[in-house]
Amino acid sequence: MTGRERILAVLAGHKADHIPCMPITMTFAADILGVKYLQYVRDHRIMVDAQVKTAATFGFDYVSTISDPTREAADLGAHIQWYEDRPPAILEDEALFADKSVLAGVEAPDTIAGGRMEDRVRGIELLRERAGKGLFVEGWVEGPCAEGADLRGINRLMMDFSDDPAFVHDLFDFTLQVAIRFAAAQIQAGADIIGVGDAAASLVGPRIYKEFVWPWEKKLVDSIHANGGRVRLHICGNTRRILDGIGTLGCDLVDIDYPVPMDQARTQTGPQQTLAGNIDPVRELRDGSPETIALSLEALQRQAGARWIVAAGCEVVRDTPHENVRAMVEFAQTHEAIAMA
Amino acid sequence: MAQSKELYEAILNGDAKKAHAVTQAAIEAGTEPMTLISEFMVPAMDEVGRLFEEEEYFVPELLLAGRAMKSAMELLRPLMTASGEKLSARVVIGTVKGDLHDIGKNIVASMLEGSGFEVIDLGADVSAEAFVAAVEERKPQFVCMSALLTVTMPAMKTTIDALTNAGLRNRVKVLVGGAPVTLRYAKEIGADGYSENASGAVGLVRNLLAEA
Repeated sequence: MTGRERILAVLAGHKADHIPCMPITMTFAADILGVKYLQYVRDHRIMVDAQVKTAATFGFDYVSTISDPTREAADLGAHIQWYEDRPPAILEDEALFADKSVLAGVEAPDTIAGGRMEDRVRGIELLRERAGKGLFVEGWVEGPCAEGADLRGINRLMMDFSDDPAFVHDLFDFTLQVAIRFAAAQIQAGADIIGVGDAAASLVGPRIYKEFVWPWEKKLVDSIHANGGRVRLHICGNTRRILDGIGTLGCDLVDIDYPVPMDQARTQTGPQQTLAGNIDPVRELRDGSPETIALSLEALQRQAGARWIVAAGCEVVRDTPHENVRAMVEFAQTHEAIAMA
Repeated sequence: MAQSKELYEAILNGDAKKAHAVTQAAIEAGTEPMTLISEFMVPAMDEVGRLFEEEEYFVPELLLAGRAMKSAMELLRPLMTASGEKLSARVVIGTVKGDLHDIGKNIVASMLEGSGFEVIDLGADVSAEAFVAAVEERKPQFVCMSALLTVTMPAMKTTIDALTNAGLRNRVKVLVGGAPVTLRYAKEIGADGYSENASGAVGLVRNLLAEA
């Protein structure tokens, strides 16, 4: 089986020759190619070279265009702080919607307009060309809550849930429209799956998640499906108290970050949900050894059962020893992916 | 004191306007600032921390409680300055150079302030030189540093080295935290303490003060 076939089989609940391996790499991939991260995030050709080389070096089943959370915000005109060798960030003091009234006058931008969103779309086209049908190709969008946090400022947004609920819904309606357009362009460019990064959602509890976040995530998931795409939901952090809701979104793949016990994730999302994760990227994958990593993955496999994909809970950090990454891949490659009973 | 009990409830419920109003009323009724802090504000923030650990409260509730607590402190601080009353310890806190993530740091700052410590928040993207200057000028007992990215964690060591080079290292306890930071890393860089969450950070400061 090719990596793409392997992932598609597991997403469908079928048997595969071995468990797929889909770890998120960003700065780690730039280091493999020997480029500064600024080059990686600003030129899709470099990102594609780095992803293809990293996947080939370690035997990953997929390549991804995830890079940083600022592509949409940059095209909307937000002030971006650039760094030579780390991901760009958004200055909260200068957030685009620090003044709430600005939202009413802004429209969702065109994806293909020569900006950072188009750069990612071109990256997908090139990955599709370079990877052929051998590797699974992943696009990426910011989820409605994460993009809302990027544009409003995360500290302000956390207060807005209580201070101005109507504004939050207006904000998420806007960020949803941005995400829908961006995802559609990436699907058209050949993305097999769209990663939806909604990290800020792990900061809220079940009440706020249900009232403010879930409805907009659901609309995004449904839209991506309607446009012929698949969805990988990635919420960094502790999602234990919102997993019940996450399990009802209809995502094709849900990433579980390391603070969540995998057996709890399986129980809460149900046997039909394909899960990825969730080895601790720092304490286990970086600081552990090939032996401890294999032991951790064995335990995760027991807890996750069928419909499980090997990955770190979040990004593979840049100084992770290569033998540890190889140990993670080797585990996947030496264990059969079982079909749903 | 019934009004003061309302201060406890207002902080717990994240109601800044009410916290401000009941504090004003309590002051006018003659309640001492330190009484309000130690008997109502600190217990309220302790309860907020407990509810966070129990996963009953989340980041929005923590930030709202912190805002309510600050709205009360705004009224109390000038009175304490005028009467010469001092809080139990002074803490300088910031997210390290190159890192703009401040929500975890903000929560720790709120919890420390609500626990009766004087907190000097230097913000995010704070250089080693700025930490050193703050220690020289404000003479805190503690320096707390936060980082959310593995790529910015080395700035914690840079800051500790800068404190050492400035001859200030022995004057302060240095505490570190943030998602990728580990106890092992804290020990490697010579920090005095590490906590994986805000409540733990408060406990750490209290324990180190008790040992001093």
